[in-house]
Amino acid sequence: MIRFRAPLFITRHVLFALVAGGLGGIVFMFFLLEFDHFTSSNEFCTTCHSMTYAEQAYQQSVHYNSPSGVRATCGDCHVSEGLIMATYDHTVGIKDLIKQLFGPEYDDPAVNLLHLPEAAFAARDWFRKRDSATCKRCHTLEAIQGTRANTAAIHQEETEGKTCIDCHYNIVHRKVPSRETFKREAWNAMVEQELGLPSGTAAKILAGD
Amino acid sequence: MTLAVRPFVIGPCRRLRPWCVLFLGLAAIPALAAKVELAPENWGHPAGADCVSCHAKASPGLAQQWQDSAHEKAGVNCMDCHQAASEDVDAIEHEGQIIATIVSPKDCGRCHETEYRDQAGSVHAEAYAIIAERVPALAHNVTGPAMQAAGCDQCHGSEVKVRGDGTLDPKTWPNSGIGRINPDGSRGSCSSCHGRHQFSKAQAREPDACVRCHSGPDSPDKEIFEASKHGMIYAARRDEMNLGSDAWVAGEDYTAAPTCVTCHMGAAGKIPSTHDVGMRNAWSLNTPVSERQYLVVLEDGGKLELADNGKPPKRGSEIEKADGTSGRVKVVAPPERRRKIMTMVCLECHAKTFTEGFMDQFDDVVELYNAKFGEPAQAIMMDLYERGLLTPLPFDEPLEFTYWELWHDEGARARHGASMASPNHAWWEGMYLVGRNFYSRFLPEARAVAGAEASAIVDARLQQGRHHAWLADTEKANPILGYLPAPVPQPATAAEDAGDSAASKEAGAGSDGDTAGGGAAAATGAGGDD
Repeated sequence: MIRFRAPLFITRHVLFALVAGGLGGIVFMFFLLEFDHFTSSNEFCTTCHSMTYAEQAYQQSVHYNSPSGVRATCGDCHVSEGLIMATYDHTVGIKDLIKQLFGPEYDDPAVNLLHLPEAAFAARDWFRKRDSATCKRCHTLEAIQGTRANTAAIHQEETEGKTCIDCHYNIVHRKVPSRETFKREAWNAMVEQELGLPSGTAAKILAGD
Repeated sequence: MTLAVRPFVIGPCRRLRPWCVLFLGLAAIPALAAKVELAPENWGHPAGADCVSCHAKASPGLAQQWQDSAHEKAGVNCMDCHQAASEDVDAIEHEGQIIATIVSPKDCGRCHETEYRDQAGSVHAEAYAIIAERVPALAHNVTGPAMQAAGCDQCHGSEVKVRGDGTLDPKTWPNSGIGRINPDGSRGSCSSCHGRHQFSKAQAREPDACVRCHSGPDSPDKEIFEASKHGMIYAARRDEMNLGSDAWVAGEDYTAAPTCVTCHMGAAGKIPSTHDVGMRNAWSLNTPVSERQYLVVLEDGGKLELADNGKPPKRGSEIEKADGTSGRVKVVAPPERRRKIMTMVCLECHAKTFTEGFMDQFDDVVELYNAKFGEPAQAIMMDLYERGLLTPLPFDEPLEFTYWELWHDEGARARHGASMASPNHAWWEGMYLVGRNFYSRFLPEARAVAGAEASAIVDARLQQGRHHAWLADTEKANPILGYLPAPVPQPATAAEDAGDSAASKEAGAGSDGDTAGGGAAAATGAGGDD
């Protein structure tokens, strides 16, 4: 009979610390899981008034109202899968909270809309850098059939070297041109016209006046 | 294919008058359809294959049209026309390429320089600019702005707006109106006549290429052409039209019948083809009063129509353009010269006397319209406005609709009908309705508006000239409506009176019987009178 004997450095205190730490770690992991889950929800994201502007267009999109009842939440698209990456994304996301608290008045519709293009560019970069990983949580390239005759063929034959976001942008939130063709003056004029602001106001808002 | 330049000298050009320069300048252009002068290494964009590969699946109809086009055969692909620079106002990113949805005449002009130059400044290219200021009075007030997008702008063109988010404003796009103001500033839309994406020469030479706009009550040119002998023969001999030929010179490549393009744009004998569709038009026909017009070509390439007042603008002088800017006069073509060019097209198939006789008949109709209806109606209206009897706001008074239709609808139909030899449109659809409108609606309504001043404003105008003198002869009967007064017993002393009496008796007897009998009797009666 083999007797199992703990090494000498495993004292009672060490054993207690290990068990407590282990249990604590498990509890912390569950906490993170729940925390990531909670902070990925639409309800949490729209706690800030500034995010309700993004929500308006989203609620009109097929990602919110799909015939099959599948609904992608904010986090489904904007937070990576896996505890580590989700936690990382949320940690990085704290900068948004800091900007919300100490940055421009994003709750103001004009300020929000004027800053939207940069936010959109950053989000597209984020998707591109991850090879549209969050899209692929639900969408499998090989399985895409589409409703039109050749959608499947296009996704089989025309997608080499491309990632979802390269073609499929401006599908959920308010339309923003690509970074290369974006024209700040035209965007500002649109915001001024839409919100009934005097000409030149947009530039002043952006300059922080 | 030969690219023969046709030297062309005409008699009256011994002294180099400005219009001769224009005419010779035009004649120096090859009579063949203008060739693309750009070297082929400028097209065949490397990304084009990717566009085709995907669009053959995503929009196979569109891709197939291009596959069937001369562009495809020449190696011109999607990107050659749709490429854009990031800084272009309507540039968008699409599958990794910077493109523009709208291919403007300026874009087409990269290769098709001659056509671009011709159409710039033409009445087609200016079709939106010409009416832009007037449109709201009808489209917005009488109906609503939605009608501008769905109606006016579809033919005249829209002023395409690019929104701040890079999308084209759906109030102004889709649109292929011929005077479209494009985001790049150029005017016009080649696809108005040249259906995309096949851009078939044969299709653009069909009368149907013009029908989308040149039909309906105010410019029934489709209906007029079809009702003319030109249209009749075209329908019967369409398979002899050689529409797909390269140069399509009337008298050489085809002789069966003319289409709209033949007379207004096409090459014919020594006359070169042009994409300035109004160049051969001596008259303005869609105005309250027709005017013979100068065609003024400016040094910046712009063009201008000016009423012939006997004093053509001098070469080198500054002149104000339609949009308020000014340009320097390069060449002036007087209406006689424009008529001459049109006439030379006719001469490919008609004799000179025939052609000139036809033009005389046409001119007579326009002059009749002007003198009898257009000018008095316009003068009466202006008088009513100036005296404050009509408000300056258009279309808030019934008389304004009456006047509008008088010149814009039946008035234009009559003049167009005469210009293209449809008797039905010249008369029943045209001048008959002008006359009916003028006498039974316009004058009574104008008198009612003028009230106590009617005799000064309305009647005084009618008494100028002899056109309306017939109204005073109220006792002069005619059997056209079936009534002739019973013969009045006359003393049989004067021979003249006896003749009258006999005529009346005959006609009166006829009117008791059938209508044909009445007509025959009337003819006899009229003969007796004269």
